[in-house]
Amino acid sequence: MEILAIQNLKKSFGSKKVLCGLDLSVPEHSIFGFIGRNGAGKTTAMKAILGLLKTDGGQIYVCGEKVRFGQTRTNRHIGYLPDVPEFYSYMTALEYLHFCGEISGMDKADLAVRSNELLELVGLGQERHRIRGFSRGMKQRLGIAQALLNRPKLLICDEPTSALDPVGRKEILDILLAAKEQTTIFFSTHILSDVERICTEAAFLDNGRIAMQGTIAELRGMRPSDGFIIETEQEEDAGILIKAFCDLKAGEQHTLAFHGSEERFFGIMQYVAENRIPIQRIERIEPTLESLFLEVTK
Amino acid sequence: MKPFFAFMKKEYLEAVRTGRFLILVLLFVLFGVMNPAIAKLTPWMMEIFSDSLGESGLIVTTVQVDAMTSWTQFFKNSPIVLIVFVLIFSDSFTREYKSGTLLLALTKGLSRYKVVLAKSMLLLSLWTLDYALYFAVTYGYNAYFWDNGIANHIFLAAAMWWLFGVWVISLIVLFSSLLQNNTGVTLCTGGISLLTYLLSFLPKAKVYSPALLMNANSLLSGAEEAEAYMKAIAAAAVLAVIFIAVSVLNMNKRQV
Repeated sequence: MEILAIQNLKKSFGSKKVLCGLDLSVPEHSIFGFIGRNGAGKTTAMKAILGLLKTDGGQIYVCGEKVRFGQTRTNRHIGYLPDVPEFYSYMTALEYLHFCGEISGMDKADLAVRSNELLELVGLGQERHRIRGFSRGMKQRLGIAQALLNRPKLLICDEPTSALDPVGRKEILDILLAAKEQTTIFFSTHILSDVERICTEAAFLDNGRIAMQGTIAELRGMRPSDGFIIETEQEEDAGILIKAFCDLKAGEQHTLAFHGSEERFFGIMQYVAENRIPIQRIERIEPTLESLFLEVTK
Repeated sequence: MKPFFAFMKKEYLEAVRTGRFLILVLLFVLFGVMNPAIAKLTPWMMEIFSDSLGESGLIVTTVQVDAMTSWTQFFKNSPIVLIVFVLIFSDSFTREYKSGTLLLALTKGLSRYKVVLAKSMLLLSLWTLDYALYFAVTYGYNAYFWDNGIANHIFLAAAMWWLFGVWVISLIVLFSSLLQNNTGVTLCTGGISLLTYLLSFLPKAKVYSPALLMNANSLLSGAEEAEAYMKAIAAAAVLAVIFIAVSVLNMNKRQV
């Protein structure tokens, strides 16, 4: 089942067209990476899903219900974490979660259990200080806790890791992975290693449209292999191979990179076998999301 | 109603923990004490200055002070306490727009009209409490030193000033629903108040102008009767309700 469906979404700010016919569908229980450059319109799309922006055209459905601007009943299905979450700094983390639970109409007993459970999950269980003194990473973690509070079917995170150091980033990704059991996660980012680490699906946003969408394996499969790396044991063997095949390029030490058809590659292999050239390693150069991203956003 | 009360509770907690509540109470009590104190000190100050005034040809005779002097001072200081209140609370909405704290509350499904109503309730209740405190302190001292009976319609005059404050608060809410920053809200609220004051010089507009509510001294001295203010009272009350209602409509259309 689709948890989020966007059809032909359009939005401009003045003369600047940010989204021009965005189509997207997010299946249930996926971790969906929404990839795009800074200023590509990721935040705009997310605010439209939350009914915070008036769109110029198109429809958005969350759990099959249509999103309407201003009166946002669909938000009861959604937990949202903004890129830089800001809380009432005079409250403690627990007080803030209680406030959130009360405004979303949660049952009192459930709220007490749930807020403690979530604070433990994000590692703020022992934190008794007011939010004023929280670091950015702590705020980001509290942000996830508040977003998960009313057990949303869809968790939307706007660049949750962009502003964090490597430790903070790892913590957030681990929490998101843990949250996968309970919800569908839709998160925007421009950090491709994060997508490769935790996402099951991804879409590239470019020029206000989805340039490519699919599971991570599908996306990788969209481009043929980038070629092979051949490393010989002896340096002179590398020289012999280069002389025989002019499309091999010398790399570091005795490595040779090859970009070309499979047929040609088998030709090289045959030559290697016939001349009994000892090989250290042969490796296929996998297409990375980065090379794909650079290609689609060209 | 639960979300509304939760947001309301948060508003009071904010006023208390950010120290605004305390500052306001202290200031209003201080101003309340100042009115009778200034009245009480006037003869003494006149005596001190009488020599230098005498040299410049002014002859100071005995100065008579009574409750009326203190009440005049009370209404002279009322605009100042109102301005202080506006300055302290005019960013009640805009602070939340800017920091993005409201955004999170709205994405939790909190209705926008509840935000407008909760914030209006906070401002009105604090203004009521603080103005009552300001009034009670002056009233108490005046009763102790002199006799409050000398001034006519003290309660009505003070209630009129309170209502003017309510009208100004509804302007804060209205402009907060339209504008993005605090400076704009303060300037527009001040601008409209000033414009209303200037318009009240026109004889035809005068009886309906909320600014007439500030003219309490004529009521105290008996120069005007209570009936003369009724249309202005009704106009201020109706306008305040309209402003809040329009704010709710604006807020529903606002892109956060």
